Amino acid sequence: MTKQFDSLPSEDLMVETAKGDEFAFEVLVRRHQASVLNLVYRYVGNKTKAQDLAQEVFIRVWRAADRYEPKAKFATWIYSITVNLCLNEMKFGKKRKMIPWEVGKEEPSSVYETDSEVPHSPEDLLLAKERSRRISESLQSLPENQRMALILKRYDGLSYEEIAKVMGCSVPAVESLLVRAKRGLQEKLIFSEK
Amino acid sequence: MKCSQVQKRLSAFQDGELNRQERAEVSDHLGRCSACRRQYAEMEKVWQALGDLKEIAPNPGFYGQLVKKINESNKISFPTGFGWLFQGFSSPWAASALLIAGILIGAFLGSFLGTSDLFSFQASRVSRSQAAVEVFSLQTFNPIPPGSLGDKYIRMATYAEEERR
Repeated sequence: MTKQFDSLPSEDLMVETAKGDEFAFEVLVRRHQASVLNLVYRYVGNKTKAQDLAQEVFIRVWRAADRYEPKAKFATWIYSITVNLCLNEMKFGKKRKMIPWEVGKEEPSSVYETDSEVPHSPEDLLLAKERSRRISESLQSLPENQRMALILKRYDGLSYEEIAKVMGCSVPAVESLLVRAKRGLQEKLIFSEK
Repeated sequence: MKCSQVQKRLSAFQDGELNRQERAEVSDHLGRCSACRRQYAEMEKVWQALGDLKEIAPNPGFYGQLVKKINESNKISFPTGFGWLFQGFSSPWAASALLIAGILIGAFLGSFLGTSDLFSFQASRVSRSQAAVEVFSLQTFNPIPPGSLGDKYIRMATYAEEERR
């Protein structure tokens, strides 16, 4: 049943979702879950929390489906939802109780790293993990807006204009955020190397 | 372009966000200035290092868990059958309008029902309750209220006196 939707653009899937079509929604989720999950993961730096927040993004997509205007690019729209959720999570997350990943059925350890580029030898694996941890820690130490702008640019390849739209600020503000983020990251990574 | 100007635009240069002319100017400056070139090289090194952060894949049960959460959240939504009544009142403005309308309707009905003779039985009910209040109020001032210990003693004394006679 989902096959008929596979070739449809996300904007059309969203229109079908607004009509209550669960198959369209499933295709939409499967198409965007990895990008949403990784954006959240890079931002919060925690795999289990990232899974919960990514699901929260799609719950919001489902609920807001009837308010979606097909004129808006779906990717920009879902990025806006994700960014808002992440930034709010940093503000209010300490007060909000997270819904835990279902214990027993899906342990946090089953949140896999993608096996593309995964080194084969245990030493390489350890080194890669260590490098990944160091980058994640450096990212986490950046101020929230700088971190988000940097992630959207570096990993999602958004233009300054798209980042400005998603984060609700001006293009010069995005440029300024990125200059400071890169400088901050440079200092941290060079410091941690010494 | 001076070094200070170039350094301000290096990030946008790296991100491919400069126009053709600016890009040519920065590029030209980097070809001549070793200090700016070194700074740009460090920036590139950090940019490359960010690629070391591994991607994660969604949990195999991601969609199933999501559907479960949506179904759970639907259970606490408005009861079926009355949903249409609340659908338009999702915004704070609409909710405020609904509240104000409720207060106005309540005030109108209150004043209308209070002055109307719709409930004619109310008059007799009031008079009966007033009578009851009066009786009980008077009994409060009775030094020997009926059913009290004093009342029983007097009755017993009166009965004994009548027996003697």
